[in-house]
Amino acid sequence: MGSPITKWEGAAEYFTYADRPIVLYIILGIAIAFTVLSIVKVGRHEKESYEKLK
Amino acid sequence: MEQQLADLAAKVAALEQSGGMQGTIDIEVYYFWATALMVLIHAGFLGYEMGASRAKNVLASGIKNILAFAFIIPTFFFFGWWIYLAFPGGFIPAEGGDPGLPWAMAMGPNLSDNATGVFWAAFTMFAATTASVFSGAVIERIKMSGFVILAILLGSVLWILGAAWGWHPTGWLLTDWGFHDFGCAGIVHLIAGAFALGVLINLGPRIGKYNADGTANDIAPHNVPMVLIGLMLIIVGFFGFLAACVIMVKGGQWTNIYGQPMTLSAVGFNTLMGFGGGVIGAWALTRDPFWMMSGGLAGIITAAAGIDVWYPPLAFVVGFVGGATIKIVNDGVVKVLRLDDAVGAVSVHGWCGFLGVMVVGLFASGYANVGEAPPVSFMGQLVGALVCFALGFVPGFIVSYCLKVVRLLRVPDEAQMIGLDLAEVPLKAYPEGVNAAQGTLQPAE
Repeated sequence: MGSPITKWEGAAEYFTYADRPIVLYIILGIAIAFTVLSIVKVGRHEKESYEKLK
Repeated sequence: MEQQLADLAAKVAALEQSGGMQGTIDIEVYYFWATALMVLIHAGFLGYEMGASRAKNVLASGIKNILAFAFIIPTFFFFGWWIYLAFPGGFIPAEGGDPGLPWAMAMGPNLSDNATGVFWAAFTMFAATTASVFSGAVIERIKMSGFVILAILLGSVLWILGAAWGWHPTGWLLTDWGFHDFGCAGIVHLIAGAFALGVLINLGPRIGKYNADGTANDIAPHNVPMVLIGLMLIIVGFFGFLAACVIMVKGGQWTNIYGQPMTLSAVGFNTLMGFGGGVIGAWALTRDPFWMMSGGLAGIITAAAGIDVWYPPLAFVVGFVGGATIKIVNDGVVKVLRLDDAVGAVSVHGWCGFLGVMVVGLFASGYANVGEAPPVSFMGQLVGALVCFALGFVPGFIVSYCLKVVRLLRVPDEAQMIGLDLAEVPLKAYPEGVNAAQGTLQPAE
C-alpha cells in the first residue's frame, strides 16, 4: 500500500508514499509533532521532578 | 565487421556505464563510512561530559548529551539541510533550497540520487558535533528543556547558516571575501564556542564555583580517565569529520568544499601534525593530562582551516600554539570574566577556532580561489571570523536570556545541591560503590 512503484525498471524515488505528497505531509507533520511534544514532555518532567524537592 | 564494431561499441558503452556507477557507489561508500566514524565524536563527548561531571550528576550529563544528538537529527532533516541550500547569499532564501525541503524527492531513498542521503548524514553529524561542543560548557546546572532548545538552535540553524555563508561553493563569505575554512575551525568551532559564551553569561556558575570574594574554586571531574578516553575518541572521530570535508570527485582530482584541488594526503599529514603539536604544547605549559588531551583537540582545531594547504611542520607549530594557549584563555574566562565553563569549551573551541581562521590569513594568504572569488586574504579571514563569532554569540545570548526570563534555563538550587541524577533520573550511575550525593567512594559491603 505504501509502495510508489510497481516495477523496478525506470524507478527513481522509491521511498514509501513518494507518489502521494499529501501522505508525506501528514507523516512529516506527525514527526514534527512527536519532536515538539517530546520537548514539552522534557519540560514537564523537570518541573514535576523539581517540585518534589520542595 | 560492422557487427563486430557494433558489439565493441556496446561493450564500451556498458563499461562506461559500469565505471560511472562504480564511481557513484565509491562516493556513497566514502561519505557513509566517514559519517560512521563521526559517531565516535559523540561517543567521545558522552564520555568526556560524564567524566567531567561530579558523580551526583553523571547520568543527567549523559542524558543531556545523548538528547542533543537525537534532537539534532530530525530537526536537521526538517529544516537544517534546507537552510544550507537556501541561504548562501545571506538572510534571503534562494530557490536553490527546494531540494532540501523535507518533502523533496531527494530527501529519501532515490535511485537517481545516490549523493543527497550521505551528504545530509555527514552534515547532520557536523551539526550534532557543534551542539555537543556547547553541551559540555553548561553541565550540572542547565535545565534539559532549555538545553534542548538551545542545542537545536545551534546545531540545526546557526552553524548551518554559517556553513551556507562560509562553507559553500557560492556562499557570500567565499564569493565576496575569499574566506577559507577547510575543516570548519570558524564555521563549527568558533560559532559553537561563541554560542557557549553567550549562554554562560545568562546561565551563571555551578553552586560552589565562586567564593564570596569572587575567587574561583576547582570543581574536580569525578572520572578523569573517562574524560581522557572521551577526548581520544573525539580525536578519532575527527578523522571522519575532516575526511568528510573533502569533496570526492569521480575520475578527477578531489577538491575542498570551495572547489580548490587538494589531496586526502593533506588531511593525513596535517591532522596528525596539528594533534601532536596541540598535545605537546598543552603538556609543556600545564603538565595536566586534562589540558594535554584537550590540547590535542585544540591543535587539530587550530590547524583545521588550513589543513588542505599547510606545510606539515607549520600545522605542528599552529597546533602547538593552540594547545599552549587554551589554559591561559580558559583562566581568563573563568577568573576574569567569571564564567563557569565546565570543560573549557570557549577556550578550546571558540579561541582555537578563531585562531585557526586567522592563521590562514597570516600564513596562507594569496591562495587562488576558483571562479570569480577573490584569493585568500587576512582581511577575508578576519571578516569571516567576526561573522562566525557574531553568529554564535548574539543568538546564544539573546535566546538564553529569554529562556532565563521564562525559567527554562537554570535548575533550582536544591536540585543542584542533591544532584541532578537523584532529582530527575530514575536510575543510579554507581549504585553499589559510590555515594552519589557526596561524590566519594564508599567501601563495598
